[in-house]
Amino acid sequence: MSATSIDAKMLSQMFLAGAKNLEANQEIINELNVFPVPDGDTGTNMTATIMQAASEVYAEPDAPMDVICKSISSGSLRGARGNSGVILSQLLRGFTKVVKKHDEITGPVLAEAFEKAVETAYKAVMKPKEGTILTVARGAGDRARELAASGETDIEVYFTEIIRAASETLETTPDLLPVLKEAGVVDSGGKGLLEVLKGAYDGYLGKGIPFEQKTGAGCDSQAEQVEEVKLKYAYCVVLRVILSQNLNRKQMMDIRGFLSSVGDDVKVNDTGKGVFLHIHTNDPGLVIQKSLLYGEICEITVSNIAMEGHIDAPEGTPITSESLKLCEESEAGASPLEKVPAEHKDTGFVAVCSGVGMAEIFKSLGCDIVIEGGQTMNPSTDDIIKSAERVNADKVFILPNNKNIILAAEQAGKMTGDDRIVVIPTKTVPQGISALVNYIPGESAEENESSMREAISTVASGEVTYAVRDVVIEGQSIKQGDYMGIGDSGILCVGNNRVDVTVGMLEKLMKSDSELISVYYGEDVDENEAAGLLDRINSKFSGAEVELQYGGQPIYDFIVSVE
Amino acid sequence: MSKVAIVTDSNSGITVDEASKLGVYVLPMPFHIRDRDFFEGINIDQKNFYLMIDEGVEIGTSQPSPADVKALWDDILTDHDSIVHIPMSSGLSGSCESARMLAQNYNGRVEVADNKRISVTLRRSILDAKRMADEGMDAASIRKKLEETGLDTTIYIMLDTLTYLKRGGRITPTAAAIGTLLKIRPVLQLQGEKLDAYAKARTPAQGRKLMIQAIRDDIQKRFSGSRIVIDMAYTFDEEALLSFREEVKEAFPWAGEIYYAPLSLSVGCHIGPGALAVTATVCDGDPVSM
Repeated sequence: MSATSIDAKMLSQMFLAGAKNLEANQEIINELNVFPVPDGDTGTNMTATIMQAASEVYAEPDAPMDVICKSISSGSLRGARGNSGVILSQLLRGFTKVVKKHDEITGPVLAEAFEKAVETAYKAVMKPKEGTILTVARGAGDRARELAASGETDIEVYFTEIIRAASETLETTPDLLPVLKEAGVVDSGGKGLLEVLKGAYDGYLGKGIPFEQKTGAGCDSQAEQVEEVKLKYAYCVVLRVILSQNLNRKQMMDIRGFLSSVGDDVKVNDTGKGVFLHIHTNDPGLVIQKSLLYGEICEITVSNIAMEGHIDAPEGTPITSESLKLCEESEAGASPLEKVPAEHKDTGFVAVCSGVGMAEIFKSLGCDIVIEGGQTMNPSTDDIIKSAERVNADKVFILPNNKNIILAAEQAGKMTGDDRIVVIPTKTVPQGISALVNYIPGESAEENESSMREAISTVASGEVTYAVRDVVIEGQSIKQGDYMGIGDSGILCVGNNRVDVTVGMLEKLMKSDSELISVYYGEDVDENEAAGLLDRINSKFSGAEVELQYGGQPIYDFIVSVE
Repeated sequence: MSKVAIVTDSNSGITVDEASKLGVYVLPMPFHIRDRDFFEGINIDQKNFYLMIDEGVEIGTSQPSPADVKALWDDILTDHDSIVHIPMSSGLSGSCESARMLAQNYNGRVEVADNKRISVTLRRSILDAKRMADEGMDAASIRKKLEETGLDTTIYIMLDTLTYLKRGGRITPTAAAIGTLLKIRPVLQLQGEKLDAYAKARTPAQGRKLMIQAIRDDIQKRFSGSRIVIDMAYTFDEEALLSFREEVKEAFPWAGEIYYAPLSLSVGCHIGPGALAVTATVCDGDPVSM
């Protein structure tokens, strides 16, 4: 007999199975990227996004509907990576907004939830594009609404039909988005969504891939790390300090910074009834001494993690459970610190880039924190929130430096709930450098935001990488292994020598009033080759100044800018 | 009517020739280079000066010797009642402090005005002072007026390179605050006491645009409702200055024929050749319409 509703336990099972199925298909999805660049990552990003939510759902197997919904929503919003990940998280957020109000999900509720999901996701994107995951979601949602309107109640029918609709819509994406057609692929984000829906239905039927937190490739490395780190420290210390005087932001950061240097799983929460502190460490004495600097310790427990039976919040130990609860509440923004910025500033910067040389350049221009990442590794919304949290400043400008990171950064801004985070939508590393150079200390944040946004438009960027497969883009046939020079608006030059391609690309980027060419060479380029390129550029564009820098970035052998 | 003489030093950009035309007196700033003493505008010109800087020759800056100052004053006072002495900003040189000490022996006949200016903006003060003296104002009142209005001016300077700023120990903290890995053209702001980093540019065009915008902001915010005069200065590269001057004229059509002069060598030795500066100074009269 077919069921007419889904309960909390079933939702949890379906969500986990959906996540697992997305994970199982991530490589296939990665390969659907239009640009044949060696970093197609839609599948990886969507998987990382959903896995953060899945592990939260998995951690609470018997949770009621609203708790599961909160885990799905907040886990995916924070775990969101890349544009497709952000859109997926917004779909889930919209979906759970409706579902959390019900104990049982009936067909009509499902239809309403899908509708809300689509509405929420469209709103999250500044210029929604058809032929993407959004279109697929809408196709699925429309079908659900039709079913509800026809009085359908059978959940199996809903899912069969929703999946059919999603699948049909996915097949139409190449007609809606010419680049997909040209590349001969369907939209990767839409495919990701379809796999989630398929997996969820398999979960419903009880035949989904079982969710085991620590085996998933998406969170494999992370899970292993956690395991390893846990064994690194022997003692769990929980204590409460009555402060001799209130702590300012800097002091809180100092404490967190210190604790992170002597252990992990650091939680510090100033509750007004004293500061609760939790840490795993090998040296409880240091923690106690540090605490005494700020006031009087009124409660303390030290337990051995390695010994059997230890759990973080043993029952019957009031201080531990209370403090942990309080700590957990404060965890959203807190993070371990490697380094505490010394003085409080009005304005700070977080930039995303990859390569040691690039990081140095950003730091030399006054950037407070550089998140290693970019084309090959998109940081999550949570990574960005935590980095911003570490900057000791009232206002933090985020330079995503990649068009696939901007949405996640903007989501970070929205999730912190205040105006502290301001995203300057830099799509390339040169745009980020330009924005940073144009920052004027002492001017208001608004003035700086506008001058940095303006600065972005004054720099033309180009990147050289190689094709991972044969493809035709913008009428240009590209063979696997060819080098491609990709500008702000598309492929500018293709060839089998990366220096030639870089020079060819520059020819297209140069304008009559261009004054400066900057070249950042990547980790796979040696100094001689870079110097050779410099000579070529100098003789070809004698009117402009040329600057060569080591960027050390992977994949992109040369990144250039013209201004 | 008492006869008041106006004295400045070569940091005003006023040459000995111009001084005699204007009816003011100018003390050349001394430089010590390769065991020889040079005096700005007397036995060293801009070209040779920057050539030596480029060779990395160590240049010692100094202030006019008390003996020279005293000799000039004594000479002037034979046919004047009093002197207003207006040296370069006390924030940038000890000349002002030394002159004050010396002036104590002149029973109020020498008034030393510390009006925190340099280069073309200092020159504006000299012109104002001369006018006030001609109108019959006494030395103490002229000094007071100059000190009151000294800070009503703004200077933005774009450096062609950070090299010289880093070499000269004196403004190192400013240099240190500016990125060093990439080629950056710092735009500095000179307001009274200190030379400070204002902004950064990657290309000269960006820097010129920044300076024009900065001047526009100052006129609209700091100097709102005042009459403004725009002057410009440069180190070594007059051609670059002239082309920048056209851009400035276009941005501020009311400014008319904009006066310009080389930056004094005491500033030039810290910032090197190829620097461009634009200034706005409040003067008496009706406010400008932007």
